[in-house]
Amino acid sequence: MSEQHRSDLEQRVTALLEAHDPATTGRAEFLRARWDAGLAWVHFPEGLGGLGLPRDLQAHVDDLLAAAGAPDNAPERNGIGLGMAAPTILAHGTPEQHERFLRPLWLGEEIWCQLFSEPGAGSDLAAVATRAVRDEPSDEWVVNGQKVWTSSAHLADFAILVARTDPDVPKHGGLSYFLLGMREPGVEVRPLRQLTGEAEFNEVFLTDVRVPDAQRLGAVGEGWRIANTTLNSERVSIGGQAVPREAGMVGKVAAAWRAAPERRTHGAHRRLLDLWVQAEAARITGSRVRQQLAVGAPGPEGSATKLVFARLAQELSALEVELLEEDGLRYDDWTLTRPEKVDFTGRDAGYRYLRAKGNSIEGGTSEILRNIIAERVLGLPGEPRVDKDVAWKDLPR
Amino acid sequence: MDLSLNDEQQAFRALARDFLDREAVPHRVEWDRAESVDLAIVPKMAEIGFFGLTIPEEYGGLGGDYVTYSLAMEELGRADSALRGIVSVSSGLVGKSILFHGSEEQKQEWLPQLAEATKLGCFGLTEPDVGSDAGNLTTRARRDGDDYVIDGQKLYITNGTWADVALIFARTGSDGPRGISAFLVPTDAPGFEAREIKGKLGLRGQATAELFLDGVRVPASAMLGEEGTGFKIAMSTLDKGRLAVASGCVGIVQGCLETAVEYATSRTQFGRPLAGFQLVQDMIADISLDADAARLLAWRCADLIDRGEPYGVAASKAKLFASEAAVRAANNALQVHGGAGYVDEYPPAKYLRDARVMTLYEGTSQIQKLLIGRDETGISAFV
Repeated sequence: MSEQHRSDLEQRVTALLEAHDPATTGRAEFLRARWDAGLAWVHFPEGLGGLGLPRDLQAHVDDLLAAAGAPDNAPERNGIGLGMAAPTILAHGTPEQHERFLRPLWLGEEIWCQLFSEPGAGSDLAAVATRAVRDEPSDEWVVNGQKVWTSSAHLADFAILVARTDPDVPKHGGLSYFLLGMREPGVEVRPLRQLTGEAEFNEVFLTDVRVPDAQRLGAVGEGWRIANTTLNSERVSIGGQAVPREAGMVGKVAAAWRAAPERRTHGAHRRLLDLWVQAEAARITGSRVRQQLAVGAPGPEGSATKLVFARLAQELSALEVELLEEDGLRYDDWTLTRPEKVDFTGRDAGYRYLRAKGNSIEGGTSEILRNIIAERVLGLPGEPRVDKDVAWKDLPR
Repeated sequence: MDLSLNDEQQAFRALARDFLDREAVPHRVEWDRAESVDLAIVPKMAEIGFFGLTIPEEYGGLGGDYVTYSLAMEELGRADSALRGIVSVSSGLVGKSILFHGSEEQKQEWLPQLAEATKLGCFGLTEPDVGSDAGNLTTRARRDGDDYVIDGQKLYITNGTWADVALIFARTGSDGPRGISAFLVPTDAPGFEAREIKGKLGLRGQATAELFLDGVRVPASAMLGEEGTGFKIAMSTLDKGRLAVASGCVGIVQGCLETAVEYATSRTQFGRPLAGFQLVQDMIADISLDADAARLLAWRCADLIDRGEPYGVAASKAKLFASEAAVRAANNALQVHGGAGYVDEYPPAKYLRDARVMTLYEGTSQIQKLLIGRDETGISAFV
């Protein structure tokens, strides 16, 4: 990071703090001032909460503001919005869409969810069957279908939606991308109980839900390409964050090891060291990927980061349960709750162990990620695709 | 070498599977959520003979060989490991301790009731600070005239709150394994209290309890075996217990295989069944291999017992491999199911949670390795 950028940013932070003392300024007012100062997400363009600077500088701004006791925008409440919707809207939206959606999204005034997966379209996301049909007189689209695995659907104001607008062309070509209002009539959200006992995800039923054409993102038929922007961002946001050494799951296991010398065995020691080294390598690799990201949108490389993250999370959480012996087999809470945010390393060891099982499925299964790495990163021959040139409506389902 | 099952063994397996597919499989998710199986299934299971296997007919059991016993445990593990635990603790750990070490009166008193499951037993070895290191347990039994008075605490006791009789291991002599004796303690004895432990990761359908013994008085005739032989009784019983755990784990692997194959052949993505993808077949092949290898290790152990040969190390190997295989298979089955595997309705989630304890209880994987290593080298690395 250049020194010039750094000191320039520090001056801007100081100016913001002088004009809006966090001790005497309301939270909402401070966040709006921060947005206007371009310090919301510095890698976004000027006028949209940013300064067009490298992405990595944001951490420095966050640290300075946190040290001054400034409120943040509670990013954990709007992970889909900040991590997935915002980069996609920025990359593919019109200036009007940027104006309308990005600010309330960053401020946390509007919460977002993602309507991609369906019961019949999981790994094969391009097979989505939810239909959007144009209603010419009203200049609106009418959406019907069922989505699944929707985190935060019960809290969300808006959703990024992939829907089929043309069933007569092969599946990838017939999709379009929409920004759908979750408070509109015809949106029904039902909790989905998962392995951990809670319902972090939902099923979403869409019946004649109307979306203005002005909330279509990108051209009709461009939905797949745009969805890939979102998915690449997601894979970076799962396991791609900048973290200190021994953060996350490896830190939990290391703490369990240090806390109970009487439970140590040579075998466990060897596994811990092996996993610790791998976690550290993954952390440093993540940092390298983020530097590449600083100059562009996420590419397929994020798939490798996420693949390794999932494997390590599962192996580390399993080791933690073993290190804790009987205590690791307790479970804190089986009631059906609907958590507002997800913390993979939160709660107790039993929860971490179970929650980690989702890591190799959500945001692209490990099998799909291996295909992406093979084909798009390494350039190996593609998986045979029998359905590539068949009109979607003629596919077996 | 003939690895085929005889007619009786095949018939029992078919009977067991049919019964469990009707009476247990449809209810296991609901039992798991409620943290208790419906105990009405216990007498029905006894009717099939699950509790009476390997208990001689003269004591009200079915007799039968250990290969059949292993098949029964596999079927129980495939259906619901919580049921397997109820049977293998009551009729396995407690029943077999009585059968091999009890007096004629003790056998006559308890075995018919355990074989018919009109009474359930629990096995009181583990203590709050004594898990793998059972030789150092601290529960005390003090001689008082013709009685013993027992004081102490036991932890993670399967069937604890349901049992009518508890086999309690307590110290009657000096420190270490040779100072331990075993007692058959009726759970309605004054001073005996069992408290259920809620909030478990797996095996949620069985009652796991903490036992408190506060001045519990039993006659000297309640002692099982000679004074000071309690540790030996516990260890030799646990050897056979390992066969039960191993076989139950074979059932988990088998169940994972069946559900993974069913899902992979019925769900279509990218225009073909999931089973048409090499990475999916890779996982299914791993589960299948684990099922065969674990089952053969368990059968070998059962066959050694049936032929009266030493089986301790074979039991350790079977338990070690099958329990690790159960965890692996559950992970693989869950991954084959994708999102559905992560939902609390499909079989992999429960298999996974139930499998987790298998590598830990009745001797951790590390303990099994030390037993195997000691056998191979003649040198003990226990500390």
